[in-house]
Amino acid sequence: MVWQIDFRSGTPVYLQLVDQVRHAAASGSLRTGESLPSIRPLAEELRVNRNTIAKAYAELENQGVIETIPGKGCFLKEVGSLLTKTARNDLLMQEIDRAVVAAHHLQISDDDLLSLVKKRLETFDRRNKDGNNSPNHP
Amino acid sequence: MNTDSPVIEIQNLVRRYGKHEAVNGLSLAVPAGKCYGFFGRNGAGKTTTIKCLLNLLQPDAGQVRVFGLDPCRQEVAVKSRLTYVPDQVAFYPWMTVQDTLEYLASFRTAWNREIEADLLRRFQLDPTKKTSGLSKGQRTQLALIGAICPEPELLVLDEPTSGLDPIVRREFIETVIGAYQSGDPGRRTVFVSTHLIAEFEGLIDEFTIIDQGKELMSMNADAARNRFKKIHARFPQVPVLKLAGALEVKRAGREVEILANGNSDALLAELKSQSPEELRAESLTLEEIFVASKVLKPTP
Repeated sequence: MVWQIDFRSGTPVYLQLVDQVRHAAASGSLRTGESLPSIRPLAEELRVNRNTIAKAYAELENQGVIETIPGKGCFLKEVGSLLTKTARNDLLMQEIDRAVVAAHHLQISDDDLLSLVKKRLETFDRRNKDGNNSPNHP
Repeated sequence: MNTDSPVIEIQNLVRRYGKHEAVNGLSLAVPAGKCYGFFGRNGAGKTTTIKCLLNLLQPDAGQVRVFGLDPCRQEVAVKSRLTYVPDQVAFYPWMTVQDTLEYLASFRTAWNREIEADLLRRFQLDPTKKTSGLSKGQRTQLALIGAICPEPELLVLDEPTSGLDPIVRREFIETVIGAYQSGDPGRRTVFVSTHLIAEFEGLIDEFTIIDQGKELMSMNADAARNRFKKIHARFPQVPVLKLAGALEVKRAGREVEILANGNSDALLAELKSQSPEELRAESLTLEEIFVASKVLKPTP
């Protein structure tokens, strides 16, 4: 995974690192059992305080995202457990934003957009109940 | 030493040169295990303060404690636990790089040969070369090796990277992080005075800005970036805005730029109520905070 720090974001640096690992895990760019870089080279590469990386890793371990195997390093734990609500919401938000922008360009009102979403949810729901997992356009 | 007590504690320090008060009532405390930035313009009193920590100068008033000890009375006890890299490093010109390191090591109870070899290799310094033939960058690298090998509890850096090329500066900071900080983390404190703040940004836990011998601001770096924000907004028409509590407001027709001090949410809400075409908020970097520190000074 590619690490990035933005001092202008206003988010504490260690939390930026925590968020990035969680996003990498949620998006699949980091997989279960894959290792994170050890503290020293990552601190040198990002040129941040060693304590900041240690704090981020401790926080990730606390949240159950990674586990530390002494002498071997830090590894990503099973994916299911670490898709926190916020991380999942963030990922979905990007998709929703795309739809909102598209609706704006197509001059579809907010109310119409919401009722379309509702209609689609109902369609999926009905198909699921009928035992058909691939709903089509009505 | 109690681990909670500060590694450096300065209270109301005053130091004069004749009638000129170089340091005039400065107070600060550096916690163990932190990297502490000491920022100020040229002549603000940074080097004078650092010299008082090392008993190179004695305070005219106030108190300085390092590891809880008085550097004037317990000079050896203090100096045996810290190392210092000044902005101008000087070595005996007839000595080689290796001679110099042996000479420095002779004053120390501990000297890590592994780190020495590692850093000589990393900096590609030839141990047989005379120090008189070293470039400014290489001199600083040698001074840094000499400061890190004793594995001190406190590393004092006074403008360590000024006048160096960007690659040497980068290596310098990486070495402080890698070779120095990777030891026992609770016993690795850095006190760095610099005005090349951007380069040290990621390293700084806390900082003090000094101006005319006095403390202007002392803060945690994350807290400072969270508190001081620049907000930029553009509106369809020239907006009517009160912007109470903004530190600084710049207007250019339909555009507004605001400096916020901990109240960015309220200011953003006011701006949003005027339906801006564009609205973004970003934190100030430590360097920008330093440049604007006279305006930003938090209410005491």
